[in-house]
Amino acid sequence: MTTTPKPSNGADAKAKEQGSLRVTDDDLYRHSSQYRVWSFTPEQLTQRRAEVNARATAKIEQNLRAFRETHLALTAEELAAIEEKAVPVSTEEELLLVSYFARMILSFAGKMNLPTEVAATAVSFFRKFYLSNSVSEISPKEVFHTALFFSCKSENYFIGVESFAKKAKTNPSAVLKHEFKLLESLNFTLMNHHPYKALHGFFLDIQSVLAGKVDMNYMGQVYTDCKKIITDALLTDAVYFYSPPQITLAALLIADEALTMRYLQMKFMITEEGPTENSQGEKQDSKEGASISIPGQKLLEIIKECKEIISNKVAPPKEDAVKVTAKIHYSQNPLTVLDRLKRQRESNSTGATPGQTPIPEDSQTKRPKTDGATN
Amino acid sequence: MASSSQFKQLEKLGNGTYATVYKGLNKTTGIYVALKEVKLDSEEGTPSTAVREISLMKELKHENIVRLYDVIHTENKLTLVFEFMDNDLKKYMDSRIVGNTPYGFEMSLVKYFEWQLLQGVAFCHENRILHRDLKPQNLLINNKGQLKLGDFGLARAFGIPVNTFSSEVVTLWYRAPDVLMGSRTYSTSIDIWSCGCILAEMITGRPLFPGTNDEEQLKLIFETMGTPTERTWPGVSTLPKYNPRLPQHLPKDLGALLQSQTREKMELTLIDLLYGLLQLNPDRRLSAKQALNHPWFAEYYQ
Repeated sequence: MTTTPKPSNGADAKAKEQGSLRVTDDDLYRHSSQYRVWSFTPEQLTQRRAEVNARATAKIEQNLRAFRETHLALTAEELAAIEEKAVPVSTEEELLLVSYFARMILSFAGKMNLPTEVAATAVSFFRKFYLSNSVSEISPKEVFHTALFFSCKSENYFIGVESFAKKAKTNPSAVLKHEFKLLESLNFTLMNHHPYKALHGFFLDIQSVLAGKVDMNYMGQVYTDCKKIITDALLTDAVYFYSPPQITLAALLIADEALTMRYLQMKFMITEEGPTENSQGEKQDSKEGASISIPGQKLLEIIKECKEIISNKVAPPKEDAVKVTAKIHYSQNPLTVLDRLKRQRESNSTGATPGQTPIPEDSQTKRPKTDGATN
Repeated sequence: MASSSQFKQLEKLGNGTYATVYKGLNKTTGIYVALKEVKLDSEEGTPSTAVREISLMKELKHENIVRLYDVIHTENKLTLVFEFMDNDLKKYMDSRIVGNTPYGFEMSLVKYFEWQLLQGVAFCHENRILHRDLKPQNLLINNKGQLKLGDFGLARAFGIPVNTFSSEVVTLWYRAPDVLMGSRTYSTSIDIWSCGCILAEMITGRPLFPGTNDEEQLKLIFETMGTPTERTWPGVSTLPKYNPRLPQHLPKDLGALLQSQTREKMELTLIDLLYGLLQLNPDRRLSAKQALNHPWFAEYYQ
């Protein structure tokens, strides 16, 4: 796999603007693999997902053609059922399933009392894995434990595979099965920078910039809220478009817009209306802000863009995930579509309740499960 | 993504913390590489040391840090493909022992190696990474006189402050006194102490504090650097393994001590730098950046 081309002007420009804020930290970020390998423009990201999906779709369609060629005795009704049911999943459906399992990683990590950073890195690993692999090639169900366990290793949080598997109600070989595939799909870049660290920094800075003007108990609440917003943001594509501190500021904006605007105003001399120039006779105490030559208005635009993205909480309902899983199953096992058809016919003729579940129950085909080990 | 067939495995170079290292030849490019083979037969999948090393090495691209080119997976092993270096500092120093007498390096070479060592360490620290196992065996050198940090198997990323690290890091001889006394809040200063020990060793050809256990290690350090007190090192008595009944030694003249073991005249600035790196109190040790700006290195930065 080759290194993904760097995002064009978008992220570069953002990085440059931030550069003047804290030169060293921003230089560090630009050298990080997170920026070099895992930052995309929305177009690049869409294309990448489309390519992964197209590759898997081509494979499935080829198999379906082969199936039809080897099953020449199919009735028109059967062919129609296959035509309708055995369809490869779309890019959107892939994304839905990945999001569903990514959220499951978070709830799992919560139940296992794993540190926030471990959970965040696991989600990052898992979502990146599906930027090179399709859910119809490797089932998310087989990878989400792997991502969480591998994150423990890379985040230096020691837990043995035996005890991990036990807690996760699976077995060690299942946890380890795709470990190398994961490492490889990540292009061996494992270092993650999450917005939580930036939150801590901004939290301290807000207190110093707005000293005496904010209530500490209230700030504690803002911090807690922000942490949750950031966790939700990890499931959005904002992580590929924006730097961790940008996401943090966007989260702060959601948590308390007035407070955040006041902070940004003091810090970068910006207002909702437009830049506040010195000529406007702004307060003297914003001298410190004036010395920072960051184009505040531009920064605010970026943060607001980011806020738009992270405001849309990614939490696909279970029913949708079940549907996508069933669809993958049918597209890969067209025979089960025929079995289902047969069962429906039988139950119709006996007058029993028609089988409403889209999931085949017969013993030879394994029932696709999306709920993994949620219980 | 390279495949294992691309490399011809040559002689064994040594054992790393968790792997065996071979010399290898990239058959397509004709370039030598170091192949670090990690056995995967453990029950735990990829060893976390390897995961950590891969994670850190992918972020650290610097001329004084050995480069990780690729990772290859074959049935039961993982091979990390590193930049090949001709030698390591330990072997190079050993090669200069004549009879039973060790000889240090020419002072110009000592300076060049220490400069590069500190450059590599400064880069790690800037990237919030502690090496934690700096020793001559892990410092790789090539025929061009370049020195690069290798073996990041024990390294880790840190936030500030660093807490709850095991003290079982850094080979004893290069381990800082605060770590030896059980400090769990150490940070970049742990690597700086090692840089000081290595500097002294390059001058004389002998390890500065060759202890055989924790207790002896501290004894050797205090005999030369003086026994710390609350006055010289506030907080020392609160360290978990602080022993109040330690014999009280006064600091020796480190310059004179080292000078007696080398023929070349040691500059005063060099002795000053040694003291800066080998401060018992971690808070008083120089940072890598400060050390690089030390007058002893003036010829490099002026």
